Amino acid sequence: MGTQYFSFQELCTVTALPSQTIIEIVDQGIVEPEGSDPETWLFNSQMLSVTKRACRLHDDLEIDWSGIALAISLLEELEQLRQENQQLRAQLNRFIAD
Amino acid sequence: MEFKDYYKILDVAADADSKAIKTAYRKLARKYHPDVSEHQEAEERFKEVTEAYEVLKDPEKRAQYDEYRKYGGRSSSQQDGSDRNTQFEGDFSDFFSSIFGSDPGGASYGQSQNQSYGFTSQQSFNQRGQDIETDMPIFLEDTLADASKTISYQLPHRDAQGHISNINRTLNVKIPAGVVDGERIRLKGQGGQGIGGGANGDLYLRIRLVPHPLFDVEAHSLIITVPLAPWEAALGASIEVPTLNGKIKLTIPANSQTGQRLRIKGKGLVRKQGHGDLYAVLKVVMPDKTDEQIVEQWQQLASSAAFDPRKEWRK
Repeated sequence: MGTQYFSFQELCTVTALPSQTIIEIVDQGIVEPEGSDPETWLFNSQMLSVTKRACRLHDDLEIDWSGIALAISLLEELEQLRQENQQLRAQLNRFIAD
Repeated sequence: MEFKDYYKILDVAADADSKAIKTAYRKLARKYHPDVSEHQEAEERFKEVTEAYEVLKDPEKRAQYDEYRKYGGRSSSQQDGSDRNTQFEGDFSDFFSSIFGSDPGGASYGQSQNQSYGFTSQQSFNQRGQDIETDMPIFLEDTLADASKTISYQLPHRDAQGHISNINRTLNVKIPAGVVDGERIRLKGQGGQGIGGGANGDLYLRIRLVPHPLFDVEAHSLIITVPLAPWEAALGASIEVPTLNGKIKLTIPANSQTGQRLRIKGKGLVRKQGHGDLYAVLKVVMPDKTDEQIVEQWQQLASSAAFDPRKEWRK
């Protein structure tokens, strides 16, 4: 099973979002599909989940799209740091335990 | 049914003005939004806060609620609540429904596609089924080759009367070799049923690698901590090291240090192409007990080895 891709049209269907919203999300760099214009855009399933997350935050917290772009990139960084922290802690524990 | 103090939930006074209520709501919504918060009960809290705001922001609903609250939540509810356990359209509590009826008025948090956020409301007659996301725990051993797994999940089912209940569904899925933590696998059409001829939603399996008793994971590398006796570190040794698939021989060079990493090529996790590596991290450990004879030998060593481990401090 390879990576799963969605065209622009499929992403609109799957997320039930208007095309304009998705264009906005791409313009803000929140997701960066392969391909240079909407006809050729290809989104992977990671991008799909970021798109959905961005929309929930936009709707629920009334944040404008540039704010969402910032929030998403900070949240991603936070997750990465948390994961790294967890890994380092786990390794450290193997050294200092017992 | 539990009485909900919406003022307490938003942490505002009962006479707070609409501006204060809005500010309090925004603050808490940001804090507990499930896409932001790591808080264990984030989703519950977020729903509660949203529900409280839904009522308190609307002067009419607020007045109705205040009336109800004044009598300690004892006034009789306007509806009998039949079927409501299985028929919620939005995502508000039974308490909310008992005062305001079961239609939350469109502003509910239940509009999003994620399973855990509830059902999409009935806005149109041709609607795609909801997508469902569920965690899929995978052992590291199972990522080395394509693995066949059985999953069970709950699927919202809408019957002919429009009542929604959860049904259990079991599926056999193939988990491809080389999956990584957090990766999502899409199973097309296995999500919620579409309405009025709409397509079914999809099922997403979010891969969760189960922590291993021996190995830590760093991207596609595996790390194993190797305890060594002091003399093994000093003299070097040939030892057996477990990998995810069988044991291998590893040569420990003489004069090895704690913390030193030895790379064992290709014994890490499977990548889309090739394999990651396994790193053996050395850890010199002392025996629990030493008898007199051993102590004597250490003493001999101490006096004959001219070694100052704290030379750096004396500069």
